[in-house]
Amino acid sequence: MKLKTILGWSSALCLCALTAQAQETNQPADVEQRLKQMQETFEKRQQEMQEEFELKTAEQDAEIEALKKQLAGAATNPPALPPGGTSAAGTPSTNTVTLEQLKVLSDKVDQVAEAQKKTLMSEFNPAIGFVGETIFSQQSKGSPQNGTGYPGGFDVFQRSVELNATASIDPFAKGWVVINGSADASTGETSLDVEEAALQTTSLPGNLTLTAGQFFGEFGRLSYIHDHELPFVNRPLVLDQYIGGESKTPGMQASWLLPIEHYVNLTAGFGTQFGDSPDAVGSYRTFGAVNYFGRLSTYFDLSPNWQLECGASWLVNPDSGNVNAQLAPNGITTLTETRRLVLGGDLKLSYVPLRDNQFNSLTWGNEVLYSDNQYLATPTGGGSSFADTVGAWGMYSYLTYKWSRSWSGGFLFEFLQNDQDNSARTYGYSPYITWAISHWNQLRLQYTHTQPNAATGNVPNDAIYLQWTWIIGAHSHGWQAR
Amino acid sequence: MKLKLFCLTFLALSLGAIQTQAAKIRVVTTLTDLADFTREIGGDHVNVFCLATGIEDTHGVPMKPSFVPLLNRADLVVLVGFDCEHAFLPALLEASRNPRIQIGKAGYVDCSQGITPVEVPKSTDHSEGDVHPYGNPHYMLDPVLAKTALQNICNALVATAPQFEADFTHNRDVYLARLDAKITEWQKEAAPLKGVKFVSYHEHWPYFAKRFGMDYIGTIELKPGIDPTPRHIEELIQEMKAEHVPIVAREPQFPEKVPALIAQQTGATLVKLPIMPGGVPHTDTYIEMMDYIIHTLVAAVQK
Repeated sequence: MKLKTILGWSSALCLCALTAQAQETNQPADVEQRLKQMQETFEKRQQEMQEEFELKTAEQDAEIEALKKQLAGAATNPPALPPGGTSAAGTPSTNTVTLEQLKVLSDKVDQVAEAQKKTLMSEFNPAIGFVGETIFSQQSKGSPQNGTGYPGGFDVFQRSVELNATASIDPFAKGWVVINGSADASTGETSLDVEEAALQTTSLPGNLTLTAGQFFGEFGRLSYIHDHELPFVNRPLVLDQYIGGESKTPGMQASWLLPIEHYVNLTAGFGTQFGDSPDAVGSYRTFGAVNYFGRLSTYFDLSPNWQLECGASWLVNPDSGNVNAQLAPNGITTLTETRRLVLGGDLKLSYVPLRDNQFNSLTWGNEVLYSDNQYLATPTGGGSSFADTVGAWGMYSYLTYKWSRSWSGGFLFEFLQNDQDNSARTYGYSPYITWAISHWNQLRLQYTHTQPNAATGNVPNDAIYLQWTWIIGAHSHGWQAR
Repeated sequence: MKLKLFCLTFLALSLGAIQTQAAKIRVVTTLTDLADFTREIGGDHVNVFCLATGIEDTHGVPMKPSFVPLLNRADLVVLVGFDCEHAFLPALLEASRNPRIQIGKAGYVDCSQGITPVEVPKSTDHSEGDVHPYGNPHYMLDPVLAKTALQNICNALVATAPQFEADFTHNRDVYLARLDAKITEWQKEAAPLKGVKFVSYHEHWPYFAKRFGMDYIGTIELKPGIDPTPRHIEELIQEMKAEHVPIVAREPQFPEKVPALIAQQTGATLVKLPIMPGGVPHTDTYIEMMDYIIHTLVAAVQK
C-alpha cells in the first residue's frame, strides 16, 4: 500500500515537473532562434541608426558653421545703412540678429520656461460647476387645490441654483459638495441648502466603496438623481410622497460590486433622515430609530443595442417617531408615523444603438413602490390611540424617444395611493418634449394633467411647464446619470 | 486506489493548465485600434477586450454596466488619452472598483504619452463647444504617431510581465516592420492627395491631413459636439465653392443627410471614412482601416 502511495505521489510530482518541463523543453531552441533573429534585427537597426546619426551630425555641423560665420560677420561688420538709417528697400534693416538680441531672446525663453514650472495656487481648486434651473409654470387651479408645490396661475420658479465641487481628497477618497439655492414655490422665500457634502472611498479592497456624510442614498432609480437631471420636469408623485423627493440622507452607505462576471451591485446604508422629512427628531435617538436602506441592482445586454437594468430597493425605519402628526384625510383621526417601510422595484429598458446613440435612442423606465407605514392613530373626538398600518402603492412609467442629437420627447404616466389613506388616489399624465440646444443648455416643455379622486381633497389640475436648465464650469458624465 | 491515482493525476494536469492560463494579462482597451495593437504585441500572453466595437462615435461609447466586471478584473486599461474618452471612461473606472487601473497607476496606460497634440485650445469656454482641453485627441489616424501608442502599449506590457519582454519586443518589431512598410506604401499611394482640400463632420482629421499633405478646411459641426445651424451650413457651402473643395468626409456614426446635402450643393464627392477599425466592413485591423481610408480618398480625388 505504502509503495503504491509513493508511486502515486511520485507520478503526480513527475507529471507536474513534466508539464513545467514541457513548457521549457522547447524553450532553449526557441530562445536561441529568437535571440538570433533579435540580434540580426538589432544589428541592422544599429547600422541604420549609425548612418542616420552621421548624416544628421554632418548637416548640423554645417549649420553651426554657417551660423558662426554669420554671427562673426554681424559683430565685426554691421551692414552699412544708407542716409536716413533705412535700407535700400526703404525699411529699417531687420535681417541681422545681434548677439545682444540673441541674449535678450534667450532670457525671455528662460523666463517662460521657468514660469511653466511653477505651480499655480489655482491648481489646487476642485472641479467647480454651476447649474441653473428655472421653471415657468401655468396651473389651472390655485394652490393647495392643485396638489402640487406650485402656486396657482402663472409662476416663475428658480428651482435650482446649484453649486457643485468635486476633487480627490487623497489617494484613498474623493469628496464632493452640492449646495443648492432655491425659492420656496409657495412663499417665494429663498434658502440655501447643503444637498450633498460627502466623501467616498476609492481604494478599498474587496470591490467595496463607502460613502459617508450627507448624500443621496441609493434607493430605486430616480430618487438619487438631482432635479435638473430628471428625464421630465417634476419628480414622480410616488417618489415625492413615499421618499420625500430626493433621497437625501446624512449617514453612511456601503456599496459592493459582486466579484462575478455578471454585473450585480449591492448597496446598504443608514441615515438619520431619508428624503426631505426628518425622522425621529427628538431628545434621544436609538439605533432602532434610524433609516436603513439599500438596493440590489443588475444589468443585462439583451443585444448589442438593447439594454435592461433592474433593481429592488428597501427603506425601513423601525421607530420613525415622527412628531409631525398629520390629520388623516378622513378628518377623524390624527396619524403619527411610528414605523416607515417602503419597498421598491425598478426596471429600465433602453435602445442605445452603438453606431448613432447620440442621435437616436429609446428609454422605457418604470418604478413601483409599496409603502407599509405604521401609524399611531388618535381619534380627534377622544378615545384610545391604536396602531394602524396603511398599505399603499404607487408607480410611474415613462417612455422617451430621441430622434436627433438635440430633440427628444416622451410620455409619463403616474399612479399614487396616499400612504396614509390608500383610498385617496391620483393619476398623472404628462407628455413632454426636450430641446437640448447643447450639452449644457436645455429647454423642456411639459403638459401635466393630474386627476385625483375625491378622497384626496384635491381637484383635477392642468399645468404647463417650461423648464430651462443650464450648466457652466466643470461637468462630468457621472455613473448614476448614464 | 485507482481512483486516488486518477485524482492525483487529474490534479497535476489541472495545475499545469491553470498555471498557463493565469499568465495571461487581462487588458481592456477603449477603442478598437488600441485593441488591435495590443493583440499584435501581446500575442498569446494577453486577453484583450475592447469597450468599443468600432462603429461608435469615440465620444459616444455607451456606459454599459456589463463593462464594469471586465474593468474590475483588468490588469491594464489602455486608452487614447487627451480626454478622448471623457464621456464614458472616468465613470466606468470609478464603478470598476479596481485600484490598479485608476489614473496615475501602473495599469492606466495613456497612449498619448510622448505625443505633442495639435489644436490645443486657448480657452475651454463652452462657447467653443465641447473642446478637448488637452488638444485634438485623434492622433491615431496618423500612422506615424500611432507608432508612439504602439510603443506605450509595449512598455506597459513589459512592465506588467517582464518575463515575456522578449516576446513583446519581438512582436512589436515584427509589427513595426509591417507598419513601416505600409506607411511607405501609403505615402506613395497618397501622393494625389497632396494639397487636396476636404471637410468632415467632426474634427477627426488634422493629424491625418498633416501627414498626407491634405488641406483640412473645416467641419460640418458648428463647433465640436454642436450640430450645424442652417447659417453654418450655408457658409460652409459658400466657402467650399470658393475654395473648390472636392471632398466631404462623413464618419459612419453621423447622419448622412446634411453631408449629402453639402456634397450635392458643392459638387463634392461624399465619402464615408471610418475613424477606428471596424467602423466600416472589412476594416477589422488598423492596417486594413488605413488602407480603406487612403484608397477611398484617392479614388474620390481621381474620380
